Amino acid sequence: MAGISKQQASLNRWTLILSIPLFLGGWEIISRSGIVNPVLFPPPSLVAIALYGWAKEGTLLVDIAMSLSRVLVGFISGAIAGILVGILTGRYQFIENLLTPVFQLLRPIPPIAFVPIVILWFGLSELGKWFLVFWGVFFTVWIAAHLGVQKVDKNLIRAAQCLGTPEQQMLPQVLFPGSLPYIFVGLRTSISISFYTLVAAELAGTFSGIAYRIDISQQNLQVGKSLGGLIILGIISAIADKSFGVVSKKLVWWK
Amino acid sequence: MTPLPSQPGHIAIQQLSVVFGTGKQSFLAVEDFSLQINPGEFVCLIGPSGCGKSTVLNSIAGFVSPTQGAILVDGRLIEQPGGDRGMVFQQPSLFPWKTVLGNVAHGPLMAGKPKAIAHKIAQDFLTMVGLAKFAKNYPMMLSGGMQQRVAIARALANSPRVLLMDEPFGALDTQTRFMMQENLLKLWSELKTTVVFVTHDIDEAIFLGDHVVVMSANPGRILKDIKIPLPRPRSSDLLIDPTFSTLKKDCFDLIRQESLQAFEQQLK
Repeated sequence: MAGISKQQASLNRWTLILSIPLFLGGWEIISRSGIVNPVLFPPPSLVAIALYGWAKEGTLLVDIAMSLSRVLVGFISGAIAGILVGILTGRYQFIENLLTPVFQLLRPIPPIAFVPIVILWFGLSELGKWFLVFWGVFFTVWIAAHLGVQKVDKNLIRAAQCLGTPEQQMLPQVLFPGSLPYIFVGLRTSISISFYTLVAAELAGTFSGIAYRIDISQQNLQVGKSLGGLIILGIISAIADKSFGVVSKKLVWWK
Repeated sequence: MTPLPSQPGHIAIQQLSVVFGTGKQSFLAVEDFSLQINPGEFVCLIGPSGCGKSTVLNSIAGFVSPTQGAILVDGRLIEQPGGDRGMVFQQPSLFPWKTVLGNVAHGPLMAGKPKAIAHKIAQDFLTMVGLAKFAKNYPMMLSGGMQQRVAIARALANSPRVLLMDEPFGALDTQTRFMMQENLLKLWSELKTTVVFVTHDIDEAIFLGDHVVVMSANPGRILKDIKIPLPRPRSSDLLIDPTFSTLKKDCFDLIRQESLQAFEQQLK
């Protein structure tokens, strides 16, 4: 690398490698030093043991699978609906006029506020969890697709019209690919939103899932397991976010 | 094999007036503009900036509806954009997610041609603009001049009856622009499409056109329709031809008067 000395480069590399070990080490020392209550703030070594126990019981994998399935179903259905409706409201004034006022009214309602009513509507079924995640994802993706379509270069649309593109081909040929860069920004934001709503969904009457386990462990004062659950959530959503970043770079490489 | 020439179209612009906006904000862009363009003719529209020359072109394309008057292409009233009128914009406006071949094949595909035939047509037109080896590349890998050649191939591959060009070489450097002009004339001599070419460059207009229509600004009207009697095929030697110089001076004087008037109006 030009302009950076060898020492600087090696310092940069080592700080990156040491970032997480230093964090865990500091945490371990503080927890064991007696400054804080080790029962409420267990060191990472005990969290690891708690995680190991959780895995050995066999519930860890089930919890991860349940949480992932809720995020996936809610995310995918919310994303598909958001993209379709967003392209329609972005392209057709009358659809925009019909739907936008309602959506702008519903959009600011935090999904978590829906929990009591969702229990009434869907009971403790999975449908209620999917609904909450869907709610969080749909509006974000809808706005992104809506703006994306409106920001498609006007000359591209005109060029397509002059090439005899019929209106029904406009959507797959120009509007969808043209708004894809915006849609992907919306989808990526929605990934973290779907994990937020997952937590709300799992605190509302369920018997499995990472967030549910965090809640139950806290009630049993198994703080290690609670913290372990947080770490699992962090790792899963970080992996989801990073891999989505890689995929979107491949799919909208022209931006 | 050279692609089949498209049937050149006849354009009739009848007392076209275009008003933008309403009420106090309204603005008369084009007023009482009448022009007949014969099949296979190359007509250049020229005038000071803001004279409505692009508005006339956009009206033929169907992007702008006439406030008064009508435009007919081959006797059919123009109401909306369509594949019979190809357009090349100042920016290449290629689909960035499609390959060069995919861009040029778009028109034939939309016209319902099978993929293999559409690709064959696209390949032929890319050969004509000298870009056959870039078929598999994406537009953003090409220079501005090459992109504009792809845009011309894309418009022509659709066999339009009329080719509309809105300052297509305005964003290119002088050397490239000159090459593009000669290239365009060569293409046109093979395909004989009717061309309406908007520019603010007098040299370009005279070098390319059978007619040069000089427009006035505010509102846009026809000042003069100048026939260009220069022989074809035309080459760069023309630029030092005395006839060329005389024509250039005529155009220049007309536009200069107009520009001065427009400038004074702005000062008021």
